[in-house]
Amino acid sequence: MCIRKRILQLILCIAVILMVVSCNDYLDRPPLSNITPEEYLWDESQLASYAISRYTSVFPTHERNKWGTFEIDGNTDNQAAVSMDNKYAPGMWRVGNTGGDWDFSFIYQCNYFLETVLSRISNEQMSETDNIRHYIGEMYFLRAYEYFRKLQTLGDFPIVTMVLPDEMEALTEASKRMPRNEVARFILSDLEKAAEYLKETSPDGKKNRISRLCTYLMISRVALFEATWLKYFKGTAFVPNGNGWPGKTKDYNASYQYPSGSIDNEINFFFEKSMVAAKVVADAVKLVENTGIIESPGNENPYYNMFAAVDLSGFTEILLWRKYDKGLGITHNVSVFGQHNNNGSGTTRGMTESFLMANGLPIYAEGSGYQGDDFIADVRKDRDGRLHLFLKEPGQINVLLNPDMGSHTTPVEPVPGIYFASTTRYNTGYTLRKGASYDGAQCDNNGGYSGSIIFRATEAYLNYIEACYEKNGTLDADATAYWRAIRMRGGVDPDFNKTIAATEMSKETLDWGAYSAGVLIAPTLYNIRRERRNELMAEGLRYMDIKRWRALDQLITTPYHIEGFKLWGPMKEWYDDNVLVYGADNPNSVVSDPALSQYLRPYELSNKSISFEGCKWTMAHYLSPIATQHFEITSIGSEDYSTSPIYQNPGWKIEPGSAPDGF
Amino acid sequence: MNKQGFLFLWTLLLCLATFYPSNVLAQQIQVTGKVRDAKTNEPLIGVSIVVRGTGTGYITDVNGEYKMNISSDDILEFSYIGYHKEEIPVNGKGVINVSMSEDLKMLEEVVIVGFGAQKKVNLTGAVGTLGAEALENRPVQSATQALQGLIGGLNITQTNGSLEDKSKVNIRGIGTIDSGSTSSPLVLIDGMEGDLNAVNPQDIENISVLKDASSSSIYGSRAAFGVILITTKKGSSGKIKLNYNNNFRWTTPVIMPKMMDSYTFALYFNDAGINGGSTPYYSEERLQRILDYQSGKLKTSIMPNPTNPQYWAEPYGNGNDNVDWYDALYKDYAFSHEHNISLTGGTEVLSFYLSGNFLNQEGLMELNKDTYERYSATAKIYAKLNEWTSINYTNRFYREDFRRPSALSNTLYTDLGRQGWPTLPLYDPNGYLFTAPSPALGLSDGGEDNHQYDWMNQQLQIILEPIKDWKIFGDLNYRTRNNFRHWDTQRLYNHDVNGNPYVYSQGSGVYEYGYRENYFNPNVYSEYLHTYSDKHTVKVMAGFQSELNKYRDLSAKRDGIIVPSIPTLNTTSGTAFNGNPITPSVTGQYQNWATVGFFGRINYNYLERYLMEFNLRYDGTSRFRREKRWNWFPSVSVGWNVAREAFWQPFEHIVGTFKLRTSYGQLGNQNTGNWYPTYLTMPIGTANGDWLIGGLRPNTANAPGLVSSSLTWETVKSYNFGLDVAMFDNRLNASIDVFNRQTQNMVGPAPELPLILGTAVPKVNNTDLETKGFEVDIDWQDRLSNGLGYNIRFLLSDYQTEVTRYPNPTNSLTTYREGQKLGEIWGYTTIGIAKTDEEMRVHLATLPDGGQNAFGTIWTAGDIMYKDLNSDGKIDSGANTTDDSGDMSIIGNNTPRFAFGLDLGVDWKGFDIRAFFQGIMKRDFWQGSYFFWGASGSGIWWSTGMQEHIDYFRADSNHPLGQNIDSYYPRPLFRGQNQQTQTRYLQNAAYIRLKNLQLGYTLPQELTRNFNFEKFRVFISGENLWIGTKMAKMFDPETVEGGYGGNVYPMSKVMSVGLNINF
Repeated sequence: MCIRKRILQLILCIAVILMVVSCNDYLDRPPLSNITPEEYLWDESQLASYAISRYTSVFPTHERNKWGTFEIDGNTDNQAAVSMDNKYAPGMWRVGNTGGDWDFSFIYQCNYFLETVLSRISNEQMSETDNIRHYIGEMYFLRAYEYFRKLQTLGDFPIVTMVLPDEMEALTEASKRMPRNEVARFILSDLEKAAEYLKETSPDGKKNRISRLCTYLMISRVALFEATWLKYFKGTAFVPNGNGWPGKTKDYNASYQYPSGSIDNEINFFFEKSMVAAKVVADAVKLVENTGIIESPGNENPYYNMFAAVDLSGFTEILLWRKYDKGLGITHNVSVFGQHNNNGSGTTRGMTESFLMANGLPIYAEGSGYQGDDFIADVRKDRDGRLHLFLKEPGQINVLLNPDMGSHTTPVEPVPGIYFASTTRYNTGYTLRKGASYDGAQCDNNGGYSGSIIFRATEAYLNYIEACYEKNGTLDADATAYWRAIRMRGGVDPDFNKTIAATEMSKETLDWGAYSAGVLIAPTLYNIRRERRNELMAEGLRYMDIKRWRALDQLITTPYHIEGFKLWGPMKEWYDDNVLVYGADNPNSVVSDPALSQYLRPYELSNKSISFEGCKWTMAHYLSPIATQHFEITSIGSEDYSTSPIYQNPGWKIEPGSAPDGF
Repeated sequence: MNKQGFLFLWTLLLCLATFYPSNVLAQQIQVTGKVRDAKTNEPLIGVSIVVRGTGTGYITDVNGEYKMNISSDDILEFSYIGYHKEEIPVNGKGVINVSMSEDLKMLEEVVIVGFGAQKKVNLTGAVGTLGAEALENRPVQSATQALQGLIGGLNITQTNGSLEDKSKVNIRGIGTIDSGSTSSPLVLIDGMEGDLNAVNPQDIENISVLKDASSSSIYGSRAAFGVILITTKKGSSGKIKLNYNNNFRWTTPVIMPKMMDSYTFALYFNDAGINGGSTPYYSEERLQRILDYQSGKLKTSIMPNPTNPQYWAEPYGNGNDNVDWYDALYKDYAFSHEHNISLTGGTEVLSFYLSGNFLNQEGLMELNKDTYERYSATAKIYAKLNEWTSINYTNRFYREDFRRPSALSNTLYTDLGRQGWPTLPLYDPNGYLFTAPSPALGLSDGGEDNHQYDWMNQQLQIILEPIKDWKIFGDLNYRTRNNFRHWDTQRLYNHDVNGNPYVYSQGSGVYEYGYRENYFNPNVYSEYLHTYSDKHTVKVMAGFQSELNKYRDLSAKRDGIIVPSIPTLNTTSGTAFNGNPITPSVTGQYQNWATVGFFGRINYNYLERYLMEFNLRYDGTSRFRREKRWNWFPSVSVGWNVAREAFWQPFEHIVGTFKLRTSYGQLGNQNTGNWYPTYLTMPIGTANGDWLIGGLRPNTANAPGLVSSSLTWETVKSYNFGLDVAMFDNRLNASIDVFNRQTQNMVGPAPELPLILGTAVPKVNNTDLETKGFEVDIDWQDRLSNGLGYNIRFLLSDYQTEVTRYPNPTNSLTTYREGQKLGEIWGYTTIGIAKTDEEMRVHLATLPDGGQNAFGTIWTAGDIMYKDLNSDGKIDSGANTTDDSGDMSIIGNNTPRFAFGLDLGVDWKGFDIRAFFQGIMKRDFWQGSYFFWGASGSGIWWSTGMQEHIDYFRADSNHPLGQNIDSYYPRPLFRGQNQQTQTRYLQNAAYIRLKNLQLGYTLPQELTRNFNFEKFRVFISGENLWIGTKMAKMFDPETVEGGYGGNVYPMSKVMSVGLNINF
């Protein structure tokens, strides 16, 4: 009995002890090897990591399986991607159910950073070193860059500068769209803050991070964009207070007034901003030399190599670039496609014809010396040095270094495979060598590692010329000097007045940029735009320019036929007859019917394809629609989407799957 | 009830458990009697008679008689091996004659349940059991594989045949569709949490599967989806016995896909291209080369590159080899062997069990080795310190070693068909493995991957029995798990035309990983059993349990192996091929979780006629914050053994048990994928940025997301109804269970908020699920008078799961929705393949409003005609919701239904035969991968050609493969228009498989005794010998959902011979 009692006592003792041990403290187990938000974003290196993590998702750079940034201009009058985009087939582009550009995840990342860091600084918990200031500047810049993307696709857009609570009402309130010029002003103010915070040269010393000059280039770009947009869309639903502007339907925008008093003042405000900022860049940066040498394995032509070199830090013109490394597995496929078919992004006849002769005359001008386009070789002859340099010609050597390396080299430029299956097709017959390296080592499949350009200072030269002329109607001394410098370097007679004098607008209609609001523009302005098109060929800015110039209206009435090289001239002898299957009714046709045109029309092979009738347009397409979901969520407790603070873009409806009005 | 309330109750239970019965005085008398066999009436010699509660005992003599002095109110327990135990109260009688009847399946069978054991007849929950004999001599890799089909409701699926694959286990089907939790059952080995794959199958004595909430609720939040209890063999007193057994196995792949020969393949791909309007991929010239190579006229599988003759030409565009890549990569035979030795013995006060096991298994890789080795050692000691104290100590060590080529990864399953074209050279004309992306070179030379898993289990148990039938258990369980992994990737070389090597893949590197887990688990519990007035039996149990699990790991990867034959971290350079430094990637983390639980149970039965059990558990977990942490889990079950009623007497000789039972219980699931679901953490990365700075990958960081403050447990409620029947002297045993399990408040999709929030809306508990099903288990065993013994066991189980709440207001088919049965397959109804263009034209004419344009615009002979179910003049998926599903309907369900097992055994004069079948009676499966279609809609680079695909539509009567109008497959296309989910190509994944067939012979004892053997048995045993299925031939119905698109490492057929010796 005694033993029994003792055991009972023991048991009860153990029980009580276990009770005590097993209290809640024992079960409080926070993560042991994770960092909480309170412990992060304090020192320089943490800010640097956070900022650099944003770069890849916002800047367009080279990607795997692509011809990198060089194919971004596909689906414009410059380059034809393998299939035509739905935006040129009104009725096919429809309002999405979910998703779309109405997305704030990147902005949230920026706002989280700015809110956290700036409040720590203002509470004096954190000191403001030069580098910390630099990374804050980067974040302002990145937010501005993202906002500029929204401005281009959606126009009016909510301005959010802080982290919002996950509450329905606050979020709905914040969803109000601000007039587009306000968005542009907000972008400029972020960029101006960035300029204040950023260092002159980036901390990495290799221009792989944003530095102050990038901000000025962006200011000139954004301001020029908004100024030309407001100018060419003035009076339409696409500008605040314009006729039918949907912002008017919401209380919060109904009585909107331009901060400068009127739209014209607003336009001048932006042109002025653009010129000032562009001049800062243009005066600070010298253009890279063009020796005119095409086959330049050892950097004999810096202008050529700037697009294909591994290390771009030495090129003065480059303000920001992305580095790649094969050992680290950060690679792309630019050189493989550069040597091969440009990943199907075929250069158009319109693009090649817009280049001047080396003597500065348009090809149609008397005495121009133009050889015609029966052969690609003829097209290149005596032309603007840039076309001569970048347009590929069959028989040219593509690999000059390390010919044994690279599983996917194309050692000699072949006859363009216009009839190949979609992935390997030479879509128009014309291909470019911009970005292609002569080094076989760059040509393993997806194993390329040449640098990718984000900002090139030459754009500032062009921005200045255009802003100056658009604002003042004349070219000042700076604009003249900049223009001459670009033409000189490009390999064209620098006397642009000679070109202007010889320009006949009726012969420039293959160029969308020859129009604004459906009418042909004057020769001087056109030649400024031509210069921009030729210098920035395949650099990803074409669609932005076309939109801000309102240069697609003419397609509403007259469909545009994308054409490539002159297949049905003597060049047809390059191919076996049985290969060139054609016929609009033939499902197996691989090339367009000679009855349509002597020139290859890559989108007009079969009459079953939506592109068969050419590229068309409707006004609504200048801006993207906002998906139905966003109206639905923000119409609190109502089936009536008009109670949402969000309004749809001009011409678009709210119903999912609907095409713009009129289709 | 609050926490204080619980403490009170718990203390009360403890007090109840210590309740002590009083003694009554009695007088001494002499008792005599004779014990006979009830059937034959022969006297039984050597029957043990024990006076209950005293330990004193007698043995009957040669005449079956006994004589002894005992007190008048004692109870005598008669026991004899193979016979039912008899308990007879003396009640003052002087003569007690006893007839004992044979026990074919012991009525007294005890079933292991949570924290204790229960007589099977008194069980009220749903518990499935299995003895060691069912797992004997199965030539399988792990206990899990052997268990498949042997316990109703325990669903085991092996979806890949590779050595490293672990079978998936669930009890009673899908438990959760929660986005952040799992529904695996809790596995306990001798009372400690463990892994079913980490126990020597031959150490297992028996297995209990606790299926309903009432049986498993004693384990609280860890056991929401059932428990598997494994009890291992322990020492027995007596002579020291040694058992040795071995087996030698030959494995061979089953259901290997067979590829087309090169010529057929080329024609097939050409047809697919031409049908889609492209030019033929294989030119006439190349077709001729392929034929010449097949006929032996041409000796080389590839030619030099015409524009660069130093190298071989591009192989996809120019190869003319004739390779079946499955045949090339997998062996026909692999050899394995297993050895097991165990030793047991001791005395009443000290006994032991020792065992050791070794298994060496070869995989089927042809070009490189893949192997599996297992070492296990178990030691168990039982010591009785005194009348009321005993100690158990167990040490179990378990080691697994895997080795495989680094390139044997999921990518191999993805790419084997699409990259392994029959025309792609396997070897170049010089005999070197040809260039990648063919899968061969990487497998052969790409480095190796080794994995070592060690489990070290220590268990110490003290059992105190201060008073008869009052036991106190103190368990200390401790486990360490160590995993080490090594893999290296080697630089790969191709060879040029002259046989000189040149670098193909430049990267090389070594990765090492180390993991250690410490698991600590003390349990203290006490039970008391008492019978009042011989009628009311009460068992009370109460206890406490705690678990603490911690792990840490370390990994490092560094590039640049300096000497290929020495792939270690020490011997890497840290640079890429070009000498540029690469930051080594290094990780190391610490993680932990803990639980605390208090539990109690009361069992009551009245004459084993009315049965009742009540469980209660109060559980806390570290996964949730204090406010949401603690939860009550009650359960109750009742049973009624009708056979014990007086009115049943007339039937008792036929139906000995007829027990109805039912249960209800509620459990929570703490098994969240994230161990800290309520904490916000900063997403950071080291040297993983894609934007290089200073030539290196930078560190990265992102904004943290949001966590809902209302996040809490999912709860599981389960109902069970059962019936147990035993008939014909227990020769027939049957049990039926019907269940309904509701998983409530699972974490579902987040509510919608305006996107301007900018980050993911936190998820909340908002979805429910219901699973219904049944299990039937019928067992017949008998031994005929001529000594022929036989047994038949049939198991059948089924479940179906339905979503009962889910936020999907539009009933979209792209996600779960209310009322959806899990596994539903939505698809189109096929009319057939149009045999002529005219037939297609007529069909399209019935579809004036858009035809079949949703899938493609060009329709000809050989294409699929889909049925316009909603008669809207076009074929499409409508709004893709249940209300408007267009022409889609539910065409099948891929839930495996009616899982069954059939176990047949016969033994006679030392020979024994066992056949075990397992299968699924009903299952549909849609396998739309390119392995099914051959030429697939994803294009030429995602296509293959198997033997089965030869049966494709060919209208041309001059086609080299012959015309084929009545084909199974439509005309091949590299477009998906014919490959929509549809009735015609829905697969029937039902199957029956002869999982095991064994034949053994045990030498007669008279013979073996001369050599001092107790037993000497030789056997042959075969695994996966036969399968019956209607599934498309390139897939195994068991693995059709595994790997990539059903392409897996094949399952194996195993033949083994072995012997079994007892000394």
